Amino acid sequence: MTGTVATSPAGAKRAPWLNPKLIVVAVVIFAAIAYLIYNAVESSAASYFVTVGELQAKAATMDGQHVQVGGDVQPGSIVKGNPGDPISFVLTDGTKTMPVSYSGVLPDIFSDKVQVVVEGTYHANGTFAATTLLTKCPSKFSAATTTSG
Amino acid sequence: MAQLGSGALIVAFALALYGIVVSVIGARRHATELVNSGLRAVWGVTALIIVAVAALATAFLTHNFQLAYVAGRSSRDMPLHYVLAAFYGGQEGSLLYWSMIAGIISSIAIFLHRKRDRDLIPYVAATVLSTELFFLFMLVFISSPFTLLPVAPLDGAGLNPLLRDPGMMMHPPFLLGGFASFTVPFGFAMSAMITGRLGDGWIRAIRRWALVAWGILGIGLLLGAWWAYHVLGWGGYWGWDPVENVALLPWLVATAFIHSIIVQERRGMLKVWNMSLIVGGYILAVFATFTVRSGLIQSVHTFATSSIGTYFLSYLAIVIVVSIGLLAYRVKGLRAERAIESVISRESGFLLNNLLFTALAFAIFWGTIFPLFSEVFGSTKLTVGPPFYNQVAGPIMLALLILMGVGPLLAWRHTSWRPLLRGMRWSLLAAAAALVIFGVVLRDALPVVALGAVVFTVGTIIAEYVRGARVRHRSIGESYFTAIPSLLRKNNRRYGGYIVHLAMAVLAIGIIGTHFFQTERQFTMKPGDSATISNYTITYNGLRDTTTKEGDVVAALLDVSQNGKLKTQIQSKRFFYTGYENQPTARMGIKTVGLNDVYVVLDRWENDQTASIRVYINPLANWIWWGGYVFVLGLFTLLWPAARPERQRVRSTVKKAALSEA
Repeated sequence: MTGTVATSPAGAKRAPWLNPKLIVVAVVIFAAIAYLIYNAVESSAASYFVTVGELQAKAATMDGQHVQVGGDVQPGSIVKGNPGDPISFVLTDGTKTMPVSYSGVLPDIFSDKVQVVVEGTYHANGTFAATTLLTKCPSKFSAATTTSG
Repeated sequence: MAQLGSGALIVAFALALYGIVVSVIGARRHATELVNSGLRAVWGVTALIIVAVAALATAFLTHNFQLAYVAGRSSRDMPLHYVLAAFYGGQEGSLLYWSMIAGIISSIAIFLHRKRDRDLIPYVAATVLSTELFFLFMLVFISSPFTLLPVAPLDGAGLNPLLRDPGMMMHPPFLLGGFASFTVPFGFAMSAMITGRLGDGWIRAIRRWALVAWGILGIGLLLGAWWAYHVLGWGGYWGWDPVENVALLPWLVATAFIHSIIVQERRGMLKVWNMSLIVGGYILAVFATFTVRSGLIQSVHTFATSSIGTYFLSYLAIVIVVSIGLLAYRVKGLRAERAIESVISRESGFLLNNLLFTALAFAIFWGTIFPLFSEVFGSTKLTVGPPFYNQVAGPIMLALLILMGVGPLLAWRHTSWRPLLRGMRWSLLAAAAALVIFGVVLRDALPVVALGAVVFTVGTIIAEYVRGARVRHRSIGESYFTAIPSLLRKNNRRYGGYIVHLAMAVLAIGIIGTHFFQTERQFTMKPGDSATISNYTITYNGLRDTTTKEGDVVAALLDVSQNGKLKTQIQSKRFFYTGYENQPTARMGIKTVGLNDVYVVLDRWENDQTASIRVYINPLANWIWWGGYVFVLGLFTLLWPAARPERQRVRSTVKKAALSEA
C-alpha cells in the first residue's frame, strides 16, 4: 500500500501548495453553488413566515404572496365535516384570528390549541386555503399535551 | 434510585475534573502514574455514567413515577420495550445517553491506543473528559433526569403515540450514538494539535474512529428516514426539516473528512483542512444534539426560553475559539509536504469531492438558519422549504454521483485523458445506453440524466472489481470467483469503499424513483367502492375495530389489484392510545407490489364506514432500504481489521507492485 507514492526529490523547490488552475476550478465551483443558492432563494422556494397579526397588519403588501402562517388552533373552532370535505378551523395568535381551510390528511396531533404552521397563497379577504399544514412536531418528545392525574 | 443516579453523576463530574488535571500534568511532567490515573478516570467516569443510566432505566422499569422524567414519558400500560425507549424520549435522558455512548466509545478507543499512541493519549483523555465534564455539568446542574416530583402520580403520562413505533427503538440511539462518537476523533485531533505530534500516528487512529462515528450516524439517519416513512404519514421519508438537516450536517462533513484524510495519508497534503473538518464535524454533532432538543431553529424567540441553549452555545463558542487558536498555533507543522501537480489527478478528485460535500453542507446549513438571519436582519422572517433544498442539493448530489464514477480511475499525481477514458469506456457506453432507453421510456430529462449517472457509476465500480480480480488471476492464478473476497480482505479500504459507493448508487435509485415519480390521490369511499391510482385498483372493504392493551384500533381493509388480479391486501390503521384519545395516530398500510410501494393513510371516517383515504404510489422506495443494507455491509468491510501483510509466493517485484495496487 505504501511505497507506491513517489517522494518528492530532496531539495526541490517548494511549489505553491495549490496549482493556479485548481484555484480557477474551485472559484468556478463556488460561483456555481452560490448561484444555485441565490437562484433557489429568489424563486418561489422562499416564503414569508408570519404570525396572524403580522399578516393582517401587512395585508396590502402580502396580498397574493406565498406565505407560511404560524399560530395556535382556536379551541372549538375545528369543523371536520364529512370524510373528504376540507377541514376548517380558526388560527389565532392570541389576539387576531384568521379562518383557514385545508383539504389534506391531518397530522396525527392536530387538535385544539396545537401550534400549527399553514402554508399557502394569501388573499386579504376570505378564508386562507392552506396547501400544507404542519403541526409543531413533538421534537421535544415530551407529553406536554396531556394532563396526567 | 434517584439518589443513586444523581449521586453517580456528581461523583462522575468530580472525577472528570480530576482526570483532566492529572492527564495534563502527567503529560507535561512525563509522569506515567499520573497519565495512567487520567486514563482510569475516563473508565471510571464511564462506569459511573453507566450506573446513572442503569438507575434511570430501573426507575422506568419499576414505574417509579416519583421521578418527573419517568412520569412525563411512560405509563403502566405501555409495553416493556416502549417503557425502555422512553428513556431517550426527552432532553435529559438523551443527554445522559449521549454522555454514556461518548464514554463507552472513548474508553474503548483509549484502551486500544493506550500503548501504541502513548504520546497522544493523555490529551485524548483530557479532551474526552472535557466533553464529559460539559455534559455532566448539564446533567447535574441544568437538566437533571433525576428531579423528583413532590407527590408521585399514580400513573405516568405515557409516551407520545408518534414515538410508539419500532423505529423509536432504533433511530434515536443510533443518531445520538453517532453524534456522541465524534468525541473520539475530536479527542485525537485536539491531542495532535496540543502535543504538536502531527505525523502519521494520529491519522491512522483518527481515520478509523471517524469511520465509526460516520457509520453509526449514517445508520441513524437511514433509520430516521425509515421511521418517518412508516410513521409520519405524508408518503415521504425526508422532509428537509430543520432537525433532519442539522443531523445530516456532521455526516456530510465526516464524509468529506474520510475522503480527504486519504490524501493526507498518501501525499501529505490538506492537513489544515482535515483538522478543520474533524473539529467542524464534532462541533456540528454537538450543535445537532442540542438543536434536536431546543427548538432553536424555529425561532430565536423559542430559543430564548430554552434552558439549555445558552450553555450549549457557550460551550461550542469555547470549542471553536480553542480549536482555531490551536490551528493557528500549529499551522507551520500542518504545512503541506507537496503541491497538487495536475488538475486531473486523484488529489484533485478528492479536493473536488470535498468542495462539493462542504458546499452541500453549507447550503443546507444556510437554508436551515436562514429564518434566524432574516428575522434578525430583516423586518419579516423568511423561510425556505423543500424546493430550496431540492434545487440546491439536487445538482450537487448529481455531481457527486458522477464524481464517484470518475474518482477511482484517477491516478495519484497526474492522469492523462487517454487511460482515463479507456478506463471509463464500458461504463460510459452503459450510461449512454441507459440514457437512450430511459429517455424513450420515461420522457423526462432530469430523472433520465440522474439514472444515467447511476449506471455510469455502478459500471465503473463493477469494472474496478473485474480489473482487480483479473490482476489476481493473472499474477497468482487465483480464480475469479475467489478473487473478489480476497480483494475485500487484502484491500478492504479500497474495495469496501466501493461497496459504500454502490450503496449510495442504490440509494440514489430509490430517491430518483420516489422524488420524480410519486403519485398521490385522496379518495372518499363507501365499503365496496373501488378507485384507481396509477394502474392499481384499490377496493375498500370497510372498517374493523379491535382493542389492544394500549388502546383501541380502527383499521381500514383494502384490496389492491392490478389488471383484475388481486395483488395484496392492506390494512391502514389509526390507534387511539389510552391517554391520547384525541390524537388518533395513523399506522400506515404499506405493501410493496412489484417495484412500487402502495402506501395508504386512513384519514377520517363516518359511522356508516364512509372513509377518506389517501393513497401514495412510491416507485422504487424499497431501493432506499436496500441501499441501507449495502451501506452497512460496506461499513463492516471498511472497519474489518486490516489483513496482515500477505506472505505469498510472488515471483517478481513487478507482480507484487501490481497486487498491492489492485
